[in-house]
Order: sequence, then C-alpha cells, then structure tokens
Amino acid sequence: MSGASQAIEDPVRRVVSGAKPGTGHFEEFLANPALFMLRAWKECGEVAEFDLGGMKNVLLVGPDAQEAVFRAPDEQLSPSEPYKYMVPVFGEGIQFGAPFEVERQQVKMQSNALTPRLMKGYAEIIAQEVEKRIAGWGETGEKDFYEEFKELVLRTSTHCLMGSAFREKLTGEFGALFHDLEMAVSPASILDPYGQEEVFTRRDAARARLAEIIIGVIRERRAAGGEYPDMLQSFLAATYMDGTPLCDDEIVGMVIWIMFAGHHTSSNTSTWTLVELARHAEYAADIARETDAIFAGGEGLSFAALREIPRLDRFVFEVLRLHPPLVTLMRLVKRDFEFRGLKIPAGETIVISPYVAHRIPELYPNPERFEPGRPAQEHVFAYIPFGGGRRKCVGNAFALLQVKAIFCALLQRYEFELVDPPESYREAMPSLILRTSEPCRLRYRRRRS
Amino acid sequence: MRIVVDLELCQGHAVCQEEAPEVFRVVDRPGAYSRVELIQAGPPEALREKVAAAVHYCPNRVISILDDA
Repeated sequence: MSGASQAIEDPVRRVVSGAKPGTGHFEEFLANPALFMLRAWKECGEVAEFDLGGMKNVLLVGPDAQEAVFRAPDEQLSPSEPYKYMVPVFGEGIQFGAPFEVERQQVKMQSNALTPRLMKGYAEIIAQEVEKRIAGWGETGEKDFYEEFKELVLRTSTHCLMGSAFREKLTGEFGALFHDLEMAVSPASILDPYGQEEVFTRRDAARARLAEIIIGVIRERRAAGGEYPDMLQSFLAATYMDGTPLCDDEIVGMVIWIMFAGHHTSSNTSTWTLVELARHAEYAADIARETDAIFAGGEGLSFAALREIPRLDRFVFEVLRLHPPLVTLMRLVKRDFEFRGLKIPAGETIVISPYVAHRIPELYPNPERFEPGRPAQEHVFAYIPFGGGRRKCVGNAFALLQVKAIFCALLQRYEFELVDPPESYREAMPSLILRTSEPCRLRYRRRRS
Repeated sequence: MRIVVDLELCQGHAVCQEEAPEVFRVVDRPGAYSRVELIQAGPPEALREKVAAAVHYCPNRVISILDDA
C-alpha cells in the first residue's frame, strides 16, 4: 500500500505556537479549524501538537501516517470519545452512545440501507426531486445556492430515507429541527456538549420533537405493513446478530444519524461544485457535453449512468480534495500508538485532517489551485475526503450519487455564472463542516446549445 | 489469477459479493466488523471480468488481483 520506501527521517513532534494559558489553541481552532490545521502543519510539519482547553492533540499529516491511524483497531485509537458530542444529537444507545460491538452492527445496518440494489431506486428518487425543484426556474434567474442546495438535499435525502408519503407532507418544521441539531454541533460542543447554553436546550427540544415525528411514521408503517423502497424500511427490517430488531427509539437515532451525516456534507459539496463550475467555464462545457451524451443514449439518470461519468467524477473529486466537508477526524489514544519511531501516549488525541492531507505539495503540486486534471494518487491514504479504513464513511457512494444526479440534471438545462467577484466566494466554518461564505449567489440561464 | 484482500481495511459493504458472488462472500462476525471471505482465492479466468468489477467498485479498495507469473 505504501509508496516506495526511501530513507525517511523519523518524524519530529513540534508544538504549535500561540497557545494561551488555560485554553491553549482553542480560540484559534474555534474561529476556523481548517485554517488552524493548515497553520499547524505549515509551522510544525507532519507531527504538530496543540492544546484544546487542556486536551493534548497531535495532528498527523502524510499518507503513511494516515494509513497507520486508519489501520489501528478501535480499541487502540478510539473514535468514540472524541465524538461524544454527537450522543445527545443521535441519542443514547446509538453510534457512540452504544458499545463498539453494538455500534458496528448499527453501521452495518446503515450500509445495508445503501446497497447498490437500493441505490438504483435512490437515483430515480433524486432525479425526480431535482426535476421537480427546477421545473419552475424559468429561463434565467439568480439564487443563493448555499440555501438552494440545502433545501434540495433535504428533499432528496428525506425522500430516500423516509419515503414518498412522508416527503409529500414535508414541511419547514423538519428542516428547522435539523437546523437546531446542527447548530449544537460546533467546536464549542467538543469541550462540553451538556452545557446550559441555549443552543444545547434547543438541540434537546429538537431531538425530542423529531423523535415524536419519526415514531409517528414508524407506527403508521408497522400498522400498514408492506414494502417500501427507502432507508426507513431497511431499519425496520434490520436485526442485530442475535436476532433482536431495532426498537423505535433506535430507529429514530438511525434516521437522525444518517440524515445528519448526509445532509450538509452533500449540500456543501454541491455548492462548491457549482461555484467551481462557474469559475471554470471550460470544464463546465465539457461536462455538460459528457452528460448530454449519456442522456442521448437514453440512459436517463439511472444508477448505471451514475456509476461512471469520468469528467464529472474528476471534477467532483477535485472539489472534495480542495474543499473536504470534514476537516478533522479525531481518535483518542487508548493504548500507546507508534508510527515510525514516534510514540503518542494513551490519553492524547490524534487528529487527521483531510483538508491538510489534500494540500501536500509533493502530492498535489500548487495545492490551492483547482485542477480537475490531476492524476489519481497511488497511495490509497493520500486522498481521504471520506476518511479511510473500516471507519470510512459508509455513505460515500450515496453522496457521490446525490451530487452527480444533481449536476446531471442541472447541467443538461442550465449554465451558471458567479454574481459576485470570484474571490468573494471563500471557505467558511461557522460549524464543524466546511462551507462557502455567505451569500453564495449564482445566476443561471437556460442552455442554448 | 490470485486474489488478495486487505482484511484490516474491509468494511463488509458486500459490493464485491454483488459483482462476483462466485468468489466473494461477506460474513457477519459477532462483536467484530463484517468482512469478506474468499470462496475461491484462485478463480478461473472466465470470472476475471466480474472480479475486476469487484476490485474497481470496492468502496475501500481492499481487493487486488495478482497475476500468476
């Protein structure tokens, strides 16, 4: 897996400058985790130590280091403790609110809701939703596409997840409740997710109301019986290895978890894809021709067509390289961890950063430049927008399907241009997910050719 | 053709099983991650195309084909 081994010097651990008494680097991390990670790496190299309110963190950068971390067992490098702030969002007994052996089975249930067979149905649903959404756009117009894609992905995801009956009754409330959950997932929640701040009380109220709504749907389903081509159906049918089915509250947790994992990650990636398409008209025209050819072949938006669309694929890959939605992946060291002579003791937290990993100039020359023609990396762990190893995002294929289905439909009909100066579309991190700065306005015009 | 799987990285998605059920089977293991099992590690040439699809579509890129020298 690793590249050719050269005479590599043992990594040296350095401490990031600018720590403040008591809080360490927390303030700077809070302001923008992506930029802080990048600074830490530029200053310290492949092993950068920093302090988040008394918690010692070590950023490891480089494909081999990333591989070593992703290969380590959960019992040694635990993903559970660093993500405890998700427990009040997803619920007790779900994901990291459950023991590893339970959580693993739940992840498997998530992945069973995303098999290639089901994915074909989801592709149709997403296509329908996109077409319905843009049917009223007219010849030309202007929109904030951060907001637009947030709405669109809420609809596509909700439809795939909860089915058409629920989707038809979807009101603003559902999205607003998720918004309240999201607002509580911030760098601040890493320190104490059970504080008395208003964001946390709103989160708990939103979780309770979502549970009420989702349990209502579960009861209707159980009463009506039948088969439905959606993720909820997979959860209703799922059993643990001992044969026990998920209880209603666990299903609520599964729904919130999968929705949470797939909403902003996909909508932000869609927004970035559109911004970069508008910045790079030459690629946009090429991709539009490529998708035209697929539609001309009568493929529709089927899963087969969505498997490989080489130019669009490379474009989205480059979007995820430069703007990975998750900029940090954390593991608590439970048993001393060693990498090339460097020992990281139990009690410290290891941080892997897709944002930094994708900016190593030896792998990605001129890393800040958006360049969809870059050759694929040989090293499996050089490109990690979805993480890696056994804990890699199980929604990887669904996310790409979602983004590609959106752009196949859009590019067939419209061309896009930026409304504001190109440099005003910047990266922003008001929460833990990297997004575009506001406003994110683009103008669309119906294609003539 | 010989098939090698990096079990440390297998997530048990079972995409390989859909592509080449003659060769791959994903098994659930109590307390551990589900992972792939090779039904045959040296399948006949006739299955090469199916195995190649499994290699290509594996979400974690854990399958490789080693050609006999």
